[in-house]
Amino acid sequence: MVDNKISSAPVKYDNSFAKEIYALENGHYAQICMQCGMCAVSCATHDIMDYSPRRLFNLVRVGKKEEVMRSNTMWMCTACCMCKVRCPRGIPLVDVMHDLKAMAIKQGYVDYPHAAFHQAFWQEAFSRGRVFEGGIMARFILKRGLGEIKKLLALGMKDMGMGMLKHGRVPLVPPRKIKGLKELQQIIQRAQALQEKEAK
Amino acid sequence: MRYSIYPGCTMEGPALFFLKATEAVAEALGMHLDEIPDWNCCGASEVSGVVGEFTQQVMTARNLAIAEAKGQDVLVACSSCYMNMGLTNKHFKDDPHFAQMANEALAAGGLKYNGTLKVRQIVDILVNDIGLDKIKARVKKPLTGLKVAGYVGCQTVRALPWEYDDPERPVLLDQLIEALGATAVPFPMKARCCGSSHAIAQTEIVLEHSKEILESAASNGASMLVTNCPMCQMNLDAFRGMINQVHKTNLTLPILFFTQLMAIAFDLPPAVAGLKHCVVSPYEVLAPLGVGK
Repeated sequence: MVDNKISSAPVKYDNSFAKEIYALENGHYAQICMQCGMCAVSCATHDIMDYSPRRLFNLVRVGKKEEVMRSNTMWMCTACCMCKVRCPRGIPLVDVMHDLKAMAIKQGYVDYPHAAFHQAFWQEAFSRGRVFEGGIMARFILKRGLGEIKKLLALGMKDMGMGMLKHGRVPLVPPRKIKGLKELQQIIQRAQALQEKEAK
Repeated sequence: MRYSIYPGCTMEGPALFFLKATEAVAEALGMHLDEIPDWNCCGASEVSGVVGEFTQQVMTARNLAIAEAKGQDVLVACSSCYMNMGLTNKHFKDDPHFAQMANEALAAGGLKYNGTLKVRQIVDILVNDIGLDKIKARVKKPLTGLKVAGYVGCQTVRALPWEYDDPERPVLLDQLIEALGATAVPFPMKARCCGSSHAIAQTEIVLEHSKEILESAASNGASMLVTNCPMCQMNLDAFRGMINQVHKTNLTLPILFFTQLMAIAFDLPPAVAGLKHCVVSPYEVLAPLGVGK
């Protein structure tokens, strides 16, 4: 049966979430999306995303915070930039996805392992000035627990590691921290303070 | 010709042999590369997803500020590094408000960037500065009969679309392959994503995408792939055992960095080409050209 009892009253959306998104660095771009779907057909990982970027932007508009923040969409983005190149509205979708990731981490939506990987990478870069694969891995496992190792081993990661080792691809000692690490950290901290001030 | 070079973290780690081959090829072509002193990580595709784009770009800008003293174009080979360095540089030139804020942050470390440099991808430099004719003239061992799929990957051509090549159907890497005497096979997936840094957090994505790319190269008659992206090379090379195990395939095409292939064609010492660092052995494919261990 078709439900014909559709109310003629205007639908009211809670726009507080949309406002929160539009206030992010590149969040305002979500406003100009015209729902054409070019991003969806261009996306390398569209088939495993909960929602395509187009649908995600629509969910932002109608205030579905939990659906957006708990979706895997931004975490599946590989930053391949195909959507960014093709978007007829010129939306830098990759950068919007980065904003959504940063917001998810800030607000504790960190169920996906990708969140831990991003944090591991960032901590490695901040504390050394350069990143070292072994360091990122160690930080990632510390955050996620040994279950991640088991998952990787089941896929054959041990042989992969041995292959890398055998072919001289794994530096056993981490590279030295950069000489200007203290200055770099001061620069980053000042940048973060400026960024927060700008957001207000 | 002199350039500043920004190697990036991966090129002093798993892709160190890419750097070595690149340096040797550059020298053979009369280029002089000065490494940016005490450079730091560009943040790849990860850092802005934690601390925001502005902070990541300021972090990247430290390298540009240091390099500016020399005034030379900055050569970048790694795709993510090129994307971040290129976008940050563009931001400095196009957006005075960004430039002012970024310089306010850089001042905390005693630095300033005036936005005077050019950030260049190595493929762009080789084709447009050095020139295919000069490269052809330097070839001592033409790679006649070698069928190569040029795998460009995503970020280098799409970071700054049309900066030097088509963002979806790039041609410059193929031109380099042909300049070495090899044949560049048609390769529809040359600019598709390999799964990138999902290698750890969601390995299945990398295994699936890399499988499709390798199958596309094989079905178009390639006997090997070359790339200019360290992430692509690692995903298609080091993860090969896992790809074949999970997808029950037997994909054997080796994947080299294109400067390794240039080193072979220039007849540089085998240690320079660094073939022993490829996990999937390229020796069988290269045997007809007289390349041994």
